[in-house]
Amino acid sequence: MSKTLMLLTVLVLSATLVAPSSPRETFAARANPSATGDLASNPPLLVNISKLPRTVEVNLTAAVTKLSLQPGVVSEVFAYNGHVPGPTLDVREGDRVIIHFKNELPEPTTVHWHGIHLPFESDGSPFHPIKPGESKDYVFTVRPGTAGTYWYHPHPDHRTGFAIGKGLFGAIVVHAADDPLPRLTEKLLVLSDNRFLQDGTIDFPDPASHHGGIDEENGREGPVLFVNGQVLPRIQIRSGEVQRWRVVNSSAGRIFRIAIPGQTMLQVGTDGGLLEKPVEVKEVLLTTGERVELLVRGGARGSSTVLQNLPYDRYSPQTRPADWNVTRDLLTLETTNLPPVTPPVIPATLTKIVPLDTTKATAVRTIIFGQGIINGHTMDMARVDVSTHVGATEIWEITNIVGMDHPFHLHGFQFQVLDRDGVKEPYLAWKDMLNIPKHSTARIIVRYDDYPGKWMFHCHILDHEDHGMMGVLEVKP
Amino acid sequence: MTRRSTKLLAFGTCVIAILFAAAYSAPAPSKSVRGSTGGRSHAAMQAQIALGRHMVVSHACGECHGGGDNPAAAFWLDGMRDTITQQFRIGPFVTRAKNLTPDVATGTGSFTERQIFNALRYGLRPEETPDVEITSTTPGQGNFPLHPHYLAVPMPWMSWRNMSNEELYAIAAYLKNGLKPVSHKVQDSDGPPDFWAGEYTVAKIGPYPVPAFPTANEKGGR
Repeated sequence: MSKTLMLLTVLVLSATLVAPSSPRETFAARANPSATGDLASNPPLLVNISKLPRTVEVNLTAAVTKLSLQPGVVSEVFAYNGHVPGPTLDVREGDRVIIHFKNELPEPTTVHWHGIHLPFESDGSPFHPIKPGESKDYVFTVRPGTAGTYWYHPHPDHRTGFAIGKGLFGAIVVHAADDPLPRLTEKLLVLSDNRFLQDGTIDFPDPASHHGGIDEENGREGPVLFVNGQVLPRIQIRSGEVQRWRVVNSSAGRIFRIAIPGQTMLQVGTDGGLLEKPVEVKEVLLTTGERVELLVRGGARGSSTVLQNLPYDRYSPQTRPADWNVTRDLLTLETTNLPPVTPPVIPATLTKIVPLDTTKATAVRTIIFGQGIINGHTMDMARVDVSTHVGATEIWEITNIVGMDHPFHLHGFQFQVLDRDGVKEPYLAWKDMLNIPKHSTARIIVRYDDYPGKWMFHCHILDHEDHGMMGVLEVKP
Repeated sequence: MTRRSTKLLAFGTCVIAILFAAAYSAPAPSKSVRGSTGGRSHAAMQAQIALGRHMVVSHACGECHGGGDNPAAAFWLDGMRDTITQQFRIGPFVTRAKNLTPDVATGTGSFTERQIFNALRYGLRPEETPDVEITSTTPGQGNFPLHPHYLAVPMPWMSWRNMSNEELYAIAAYLKNGLKPVSHKVQDSDGPPDFWAGEYTVAKIGPYPVPAFPTANEKGGR
């Protein structure tokens, strides 16, 4: 049997072979009182105003506005071009991208192009704040070979969690010129959560209060789970059809563990693009800031299932939420009554990822994650924590010594995971996010290609980042 | 008195101190002294380690953290292995004596001596408190955390904090430089969501430094 046929068989036959990973409780009806059952819609696209070939030029404005995030309730939000999530930046490998950004917020902001390999000046890190009323052009060329799903969000000093919680996040899709996957219906699923007061105000408690302390500890979570700003939307699919889902976790602290009860999915991509081969998965742990590309197939005609968020204990015992172990529904997947379509052929090989050479590593960096601190320190913009030079290859050994997960993010450069707690990574992948579970160690390898500058590395639980769980990597020319 | 009964007496004393001490006055933290190994001669370091060892043995650290009062004993200071004598039920919570040997992942290896000093003087967890000099005990001021994470009960830091800076830094030096690292992971302690802050108010544990002699309970003075 050919590999292609084997994969196809997996896709078609696995629907009823997998037991749900945990008992299902439909908590959504209570926690998501505003579920509308609308069809899920992809966020709008940023409009390309350039007439030049291979150039994408867009306008992006962050401003205060009022939106109905939940039906019948209006909230004051921060929004990109009036939308939450913001419009998607849709580009191709090799495109020159110019974003004319204007800050109409009452506070400084930046736009960080999470996961994109770009010049330091366009990284949108805390080193380049944009004052209220000011504008900035972010300019970069999309690196060939980096087709994948990324996202953008503010990254101002101490205020990232607040700004994203207020509504500033959007997706980036980088298309390949030679995508190996067949043409499939694509769904972009930007996952987020939020918490509201009764009048619709987005809830940010006083940092000195008990609830403020819990948010600082866990990372702010909310009981309302959104998919593209919608609560429990529907996705329709035909029997036999395979859809390509690009999933982004844009939440401040929630780690999603997604699954469709009773059926497997094919993971074809992660942060930095496609995997070498599809991987059949029952579930995906999607840490904050992380992305995944999944192939999802339709069920029997007229059937319905759900994409769920399964429990995941990332918390310290002191502040673990009482409802941490409750399974939640994210969206409904409906297989239509239309006649089945012939399942597409999914290639067994998607791309080639060249492993970074460990024998060329010129340094091993030891990174210790405590609670809210890295190597014993909180962030100091004037301090350089790791100094290196363009072109160097290095290994980072990241150890989490506390009883809470901390997701690691490195700006500017995608890395490869070597091993976790000494267990070799099962397949190659380009990553910019890596969850470091409580009391564990991971080793990654990275090469600092092309761009000198001061790059952030940090915990992507935004409350931790904002309280200083961040460091500076200086890459010298 | 058996080792276990001695230890239980120490715990009892400490828990009583936590629950019933009620004196109040504004805390006046002293400035910490130089804590790193830099600049110390070999002889000075050895003297510091010897003092630290003496403080550790004479303050019964091993009674909970392993090895009793004998540095030659098995499992010296490497954390809970015995749930009867090294694990505690404090109300609804279970707490456990940690590994004090300088292993990076499971012990004190990634902490600076100042973080260990801050643990003993202020009760602040080294792995959850930045490595800074603390100049206040008011949350949010003078580098004292806005939401402090205290060591789990029954660690009697509120007693040990009254040691001198020299003695506390000597303990840190002994743990960091006088012990061999042992990789031994102790399960995390449970605790309340305020990380024991409610148990460590001045009203409950008294002021630091202690009130001037004599207090109303004491005889002496002029």
